[in-house]
Amino acid sequence: MKHSISIFWRLKDNHYKIYVTKCGDCGRVAPLKRLKCPYCGSRNVEHIESRGFGELINYTVSYYRTEGSEQYLPRVVGLVKLDEGPVIIGEITDVDLNELSIGTRVEAVLRKYSSEDPNGLIYYGLKFIPVIKK
Amino acid sequence: MKTYVVGSGVTKVDRHYDKNYLVLIDEAVGKTLANSGLDASDIEYLVVSTAFSESILNQADPSTYIAQNLGFRNVKALTVSSGEVSGAVALDYAHALIRSGKASRVLVVGFEKMSEYPSWVINRVYAKILEYEVEGIKNVAPSDYAALIMNDYMRRYGVSRESIIKWSIKMHENAVKTPHAQLQFTISADSLSKALRISEPLTMLDSHPTSDGAAALLLVNESVAKKAGTTPIELVDVESSVNLPIYLRDDLTYFSATAAAYKRLSSRNGVKLTTNTAVNVYDTYDIYGLLTIEALEICARGEAVKCVDEMPYLNVGGGLKARGHPVGATPLYQVHELRELMSGTSWIKYDGDISLAHAMSGPDNNAWLILLRGWV
Amino acid sequence: MTSSRFRVGIVGWGAYIPVYRIKAKEIARQWGFDDRVTDSIWIEEKAVAGADEDTVTMGWYAARSALLRAGVNPGDIGAVFVGTESKPYAVKPSSTIIADALGISAKKLSTDLEFACRAGSEGIRISVSLVESGAVRYGLAIGSDTAQANPGDVLELTASSGAAAYLVGPADESVAVFESLVTYVTDTPDFWRRDGSRYPAHGEGFTGEPAYFHHIVSAVKMLMNESGLKPSDFDYAVFHQPNGKFPLQVGRMLGFPREKVLPGIVTPWIGNTYNASALLGLAKILENSKPGQRILVAPFGSGAGADAISVLVTDKVLERVGKAPTVEELIARKKYISYAEYAKFRNLIHRNLW
Repeated sequence: MKHSISIFWRLKDNHYKIYVTKCGDCGRVAPLKRLKCPYCGSRNVEHIESRGFGELINYTVSYYRTEGSEQYLPRVVGLVKLDEGPVIIGEITDVDLNELSIGTRVEAVLRKYSSEDPNGLIYYGLKFIPVIKK
Repeated sequence: MKTYVVGSGVTKVDRHYDKNYLVLIDEAVGKTLANSGLDASDIEYLVVSTAFSESILNQADPSTYIAQNLGFRNVKALTVSSGEVSGAVALDYAHALIRSGKASRVLVVGFEKMSEYPSWVINRVYAKILEYEVEGIKNVAPSDYAALIMNDYMRRYGVSRESIIKWSIKMHENAVKTPHAQLQFTISADSLSKALRISEPLTMLDSHPTSDGAAALLLVNESVAKKAGTTPIELVDVESSVNLPIYLRDDLTYFSATAAAYKRLSSRNGVKLTTNTAVNVYDTYDIYGLLTIEALEICARGEAVKCVDEMPYLNVGGGLKARGHPVGATPLYQVHELRELMSGTSWIKYDGDISLAHAMSGPDNNAWLILLRGWV
Repeated sequence: MTSSRFRVGIVGWGAYIPVYRIKAKEIARQWGFDDRVTDSIWIEEKAVAGADEDTVTMGWYAARSALLRAGVNPGDIGAVFVGTESKPYAVKPSSTIIADALGISAKKLSTDLEFACRAGSEGIRISVSLVESGAVRYGLAIGSDTAQANPGDVLELTASSGAAAYLVGPADESVAVFESLVTYVTDTPDFWRRDGSRYPAHGEGFTGEPAYFHHIVSAVKMLMNESGLKPSDFDYAVFHQPNGKFPLQVGRMLGFPREKVLPGIVTPWIGNTYNASALLGLAKILENSKPGQRILVAPFGSGAGADAISVLVTDKVLERVGKAPTVEELIARKKYISYAEYAKFRNLIHRNLW
């Protein structure tokens, strides 16, 4: 799939890195750089960069086929609870489907989200793999 | 001022390779206006609902071209597009026009043509219901969320995978009795182990199909309703709420937007749903249907599977699962099925005073409720 | 010729090897080689980058590990170089993507370097000069490749994927200091890939004597002459390793005993990672070295050139080894795949786009 050049470029901070929005009013944390706290709507938020480590708390093996996804299927999509607190949705890559389990410790790695058009941009972003350094 | 539904019509939900959206809409509108005592020239507002006409048909504002092609003159035409709840939002708009006295005869038309491209293209289009900059760009699929929710539900309540499919089995049984339903065959729990997986543990048997269809509803005020040649059904109220994205929810198994909307609707109108109330809910995936009847307080949490057998008027048209999901039209199909039920033309007799339609985008991201009441 | 004794060193290093492996014998059988060919060049298996990996993603991982080990502020890095012959974009730097993803400041030099398998070490040499001159505090040199080989070519038995990264900075922060660095370069057409061509071509036997052996021997002898060091002064010698056999052979030619060369050999288990080849060998040695030990590293790149670099290990190495995955941990982490999966991952199957 082709994405807008400017949209993808603008989103770098939320795809090349994992930021956490911490609310100065309600104290809750949410993934991504956000204008406002999604829980209480406060603008009194700070953005902290996550170290990218966490625990897999739920996952699915996905066969949902979209143009350009064939090379990556089946994909594991899951919820990762980051060490900094919030839960993030992401792809878990490099995994043996039989070995994966809830509670697997994972780390964020830069990968290609997609790149099927040989003349187009390569869309890089973070996915997760089981931690290499146990 | 009160709002009444005095006409409704739908096409068969199917893969209509041989018909464009105008042909489908013409059929649905024809059935809707028949017996209403009104014709196209009487319509003040044409409110069109579609989720994906820009993506699939390359058509912005189809209301203009529906009016031009189907003989609507001097009509105010507009298109409502709000993902999977487009049809409910269109009804709310029409309801507001009539309640405010701004209009007395509003035709709401919903349609979708999901079969125009192969699945791998349409899957990409359908995934647009999620947040593009966060989820879409990472190729997260709507069915992935249904799978994650199903996992959590089974774990939290000790519900088995095989028992969840009871929902779909019932939907197919209802669809067989509904002429306009898409999947007119029964399924059994035995097929589960052979069903194609979409997002494990979710299979094709748990999911809505790819559907084309068009539906229309004629909404009028009380004075027009009294002159109609049909039994009017009152559109009493519409309520709605928005949930947090899945990854911010503390409990994936609770559809809090649906629940919040229901609490407000219930207290404002003094109604309470029971297992004997006719409800027509979004079962985009069977697990969503189960969570919805729990959020609507019809069943205790974790008990929906047991409830399904005790609900004779649950998704009598077969639900999104088996009637199909022509997205922009789906809420109109739901109201049409409830109208048939309340006016005694459905395959099952219903004595209740009220009924409820529920629509939502994705997993309860945006939930809408429409409360209907029989003519009194 | 540059001598920078004790002023500049390696502040952090990092390695990356993809998790997938294919047995060299499976490739040999696929294309009708006598499968003894793998023993003749000593290649057991090779690392294969996954479908969502490329030079940028692997280089990112290695560089992040180098930063984790160094513990420096990414904002203090003034230069980022990526040495590769498998740039994901023919035009558009890989280095800028890696730098942005690591939070390295915009005030930096940044470019991709190409010199077959030794562009990564050229990045180290440039970084050393930049640090030595005071132009930057730290320079990051990355060698990363998803090496291509024409399917069925003998090269396919070894051409693999991997990355290594070195953060070069002040000697007093370093795990190893540079004693001397020399480079020997000529025009020798042993291996090339034309613009737009998918796979490289090579001169088979010609890649050996006049190319690999002549350049490495010349560079190392140059270093010995200029520094006065002898093979016996080194605890380890690491050479570019297109296969398992060549580095042992060139070590023998230079008078290094087998036991000083073997610890730095990684290719038999991961294949030739091109720009990461000798640099992964060096990383493995660093991870097992003791303070005070001296290491010779001699990368080679076709076309052709070789570097000879002498480093002295400091006591800071011990505390930094455990801060990121080691080469040995990365080698041990593996999943075997079939030739068909390898072909899918490495885009060897022609598909129509929708």
